[in-house]
Amino acid sequence: MAKKAAVALVVSLCGLPLAVLAVLSFAGAWPFPDVVPSHWTASRWLDVLTGRGGLAASFGVSVLISASVALLSTVLGFVTSKHVAYHPRRRLLLFLAYVPFALSPVILGVCLLYVAIQAGLSGTVAGVILAQTIFAYGFAIVLFQGLWSPRMRAFEDLVRTLGGSTWQLYARVLVPLAQEMLLLCFFQTFLISWFQYGLTVLVGGGQVKTLTLKVYDYVGEANVFYAALASCLLIFPPALLLWANKRFLFKAV
Amino acid sequence: MRSRSGTLGLAAFFAVAVLPIGASLLYALLYSVGLAGLLAEGFNGRAWLAVLGGGEIWWSLILSVWVAAAVVAAGTALGLALALGFRTDRDNALDCGVLGYALYLPLALPGAVAAFFVFQMLTGGGFVARVLLRLGLLSDPSRFVPLVTDRWAVGIILAHTLLAAPFLALLFARLYESERVDELAALSRSLGASRRQSLWRVEVPILLHAAGTNLALLFIVILGSYEIPLLLGRQAPQMLSVLTMRKFALFDLRQKPEAFVVALIYTGLVMALIAGLFRRGRVDG
Repeated sequence: MAKKAAVALVVSLCGLPLAVLAVLSFAGAWPFPDVVPSHWTASRWLDVLTGRGGLAASFGVSVLISASVALLSTVLGFVTSKHVAYHPRRRLLLFLAYVPFALSPVILGVCLLYVAIQAGLSGTVAGVILAQTIFAYGFAIVLFQGLWSPRMRAFEDLVRTLGGSTWQLYARVLVPLAQEMLLLCFFQTFLISWFQYGLTVLVGGGQVKTLTLKVYDYVGEANVFYAALASCLLIFPPALLLWANKRFLFKAV
Repeated sequence: MRSRSGTLGLAAFFAVAVLPIGASLLYALLYSVGLAGLLAEGFNGRAWLAVLGGGEIWWSLILSVWVAAAVVAAGTALGLALALGFRTDRDNALDCGVLGYALYLPLALPGAVAAFFVFQMLTGGGFVARVLLRLGLLSDPSRFVPLVTDRWAVGIILAHTLLAAPFLALLFARLYESERVDELAALSRSLGASRRQSLWRVEVPILLHAAGTNLALLFIVILGSYEIPLLLGRQAPQMLSVLTMRKFALFDLRQKPEAFVVALIYTGLVMALIAGLFRRGRVDG
């Protein structure tokens, strides 16, 4: 009985943020000290669905940036992590891979901004994608280290011995064997990018309006209802990905 | 001899992971000593002296370390309580049922959303104050002590713990399986240990040791967090990332070198922490 009550409490606490934000996004007005909104409205959600107000556009930009970052860092990380893993100075290279991944995105952004300005990428979607890829790529390198075992190397040697080309090695052996890890890396780097704020503000120069920036814009305008709506839109893709990812999210532990 | 693909692979690694960071940090160093930037006046240590000689950076560092340590401690305590408290002799309850799904919900919250949620809950006009008033536990709204922008950074710690505790609970639950803690606990009990002794002398130490690297990385991540302290923190002292951004974004361009000094100090600190993890062999990919 006590355990059931404890489960109910934990489930309620976990669901509370989502519930409160959903209620706020449908609230017409919520004067103090009412515990529930005085009236409800679906107009904000209709605005999103019909593309008014810029939230739908921000959602699209966010998806574009996160999907690009995830694809770039997963592909690059998969191909290059092998050479890091098999290198005689592996520990040094791994240390270097940890640096962008462990640095604060804001600190990284402050330092990277000069490079972005020089490259003419400041304030552009491409600049934000590249900056976030540097950040996510370090994570991909670290994640893929678990993949390159002596067994994988033996498979590679076998393919080479049997006359397989590099393309055949990747297409027929390595990618199928690494399928789960590739998906995991894609999901995780997507989330890293999706949750990003500081780096986007700095390199995007406020021009690239992702959903995370919108949340702060609305909070700054004291528009809590739209901030809640933007928050709901921010939660939806990660919740979906985490649910799909659930079965092997902690498998590598 | 290294193959052509190996050389290309390493070149790509350096081009993406090392070169931009190295160039950026070099630029930051040059800027901080007056050798780069709009106001470059030639080599000088004014920005370094101003930052290291002023109290702001030290208070900022103390606050950042306090928040990171408090979140790791609170998240670990809650994570262990969830992972061990809901465990039965047969299975891990966090893996199945409604709990198995509910614990993943907070993991979907970006820092910005967690900060906004905590703000909505704990301000003077927030949800908690409204409920307390309705229940009669609060007679006057002005007597509610808001837990955001507070002296002890309770709001920041709560928001971070909201995100960290479910992650750590799931991690501990998975480590319980992979480290075969149940077998070791059964062995300790068969040797005469009580349930309490088995918990505190066997299960918890093994889990903490196995999760050491993750806890250290969590500490580093919180140390440099930005979104949550930006919304829930005070104007002074500010956490390191917020302080850096404030100095960087000010109209007073003379503050920019100081922003780079703070960024470099933070970078040095994090690199020393990671090097420490590597030296102790806790990180090996």
